Amino acid sequence: MSTDHETSRIVRSWLDEGVTKLPDRVLDAVLDQVPTTPQRRSGWSTWRSYRMNTYIKLATAAAAVLVVAFLGYQLLPSITGPGAPTAPPTPAPTAAPLAAGEFTSHGVAATIDARGAGDDVSGTMTMSDAGNNATVDLECSRTTESDILVIAGLVTDSTFTENFPEGHRVGIAFQPGSPVEAVWYVVLPGDAPLEQCQAVIDALLAGGPAELNGALEPIEGTVDLHP
Amino acid sequence: MDTELVIRAQRGDEQAFASLAVAAGDRLHALSHRILRDVDLAEDATQQALLAIWRDLPRLRDPARFDAWSYRLLVRACYAEGRRTRQWAPNLRVLPVDEPAGPDATSSVHDRDQLERGFRRLSIDHRVVVVLHHYLDMPLEQVAEILGIPLGTVRSRLLHAMRGLRAALDADARPARQEAVR
Repeated sequence: MSTDHETSRIVRSWLDEGVTKLPDRVLDAVLDQVPTTPQRRSGWSTWRSYRMNTYIKLATAAAAVLVVAFLGYQLLPSITGPGAPTAPPTPAPTAAPLAAGEFTSHGVAATIDARGAGDDVSGTMTMSDAGNNATVDLECSRTTESDILVIAGLVTDSTFTENFPEGHRVGIAFQPGSPVEAVWYVVLPGDAPLEQCQAVIDALLAGGPAELNGALEPIEGTVDLHP
Repeated sequence: MDTELVIRAQRGDEQAFASLAVAAGDRLHALSHRILRDVDLAEDATQQALLAIWRDLPRLRDPARFDAWSYRLLVRACYAEGRRTRQWAPNLRVLPVDEPAGPDATSSVHDRDQLERGFRRLSIDHRVVVVLHHYLDMPLEQVAEILGIPLGTVRSRLLHAMRGLRAALDADARPARQEAVR
């Protein structure tokens, strides 16, 4: 019967035999594919930084003022005279679930509990990576024609100095399936905070479906999606 | 590995990556061949691993750890090839009956065949641990780090694998005989 030592010696000797050279044709095949294979940038995230130019910033600010003025006008209580009865407040309906679960995507552990849709999303998302933590107040969502659900919001509390820094808006895109696939929209050094939640979604989808599909990776864990 | 080369490749320098691939290709291929025990599967795994290295290089946080990181991607590629081709093609060598060989050489050839057979019975999980530890002389702690599994799991996998290989060696201690290979 062989001893452990003998077995190890024989196995080592056996493993030392055999192929040690990569055929040139394999190497050539790899190098041929490199020019058409995009690299995944910015750490575990993949997305380009999104910077608004001055014109867009001004236009966005002007639009925001108009929206606020319009909403303010709509929300003013109607004045029908002193002592006029006011309608009792009605409880706000509970928004429909949008996404909920615990998962890891691109190395970032996260939880999400989102309700609503469009510009009326509520809930939170938390992220943890390498000892850093962040909390996002979710604000908006969009579902693409190919059923990719993008959810974004404002980072309200964070120990991250980049990717999910406090005061910036970030997002995540989910591709339903088994498993669900996802990719983050993160903040890169030098990025100015995005004033509009939908701007995050615009940035995530700016490269088109092909680029997005190339960046999506299967998550670990589970997320229930209701796009 | 030249970290400057790694950094340049991280920034998208295709020439730098070509140099990296030439430098790392042989050692990665030697590893994949030993894990998968099949020339075609190993070539596919090495090719996929090199492409994954190019794709994910910007995500490597410490360029000095390129070698260990590249092993991790290669192991992933081997798992993928293993899943893609669950049927392992047995291509054991057929020994001629009258092969002129002394007792030691016969024993060595016999051991090789028995090891080949025993190794192919192991799962990829177990093969990887054996190859990283016994071929690359990698400490078990580093194996655990590369595979992203607890050290205890590495130890138990190595124990299980070596037990299986020892059983294969001991299974037929008789002199080598001609074996038909199917």
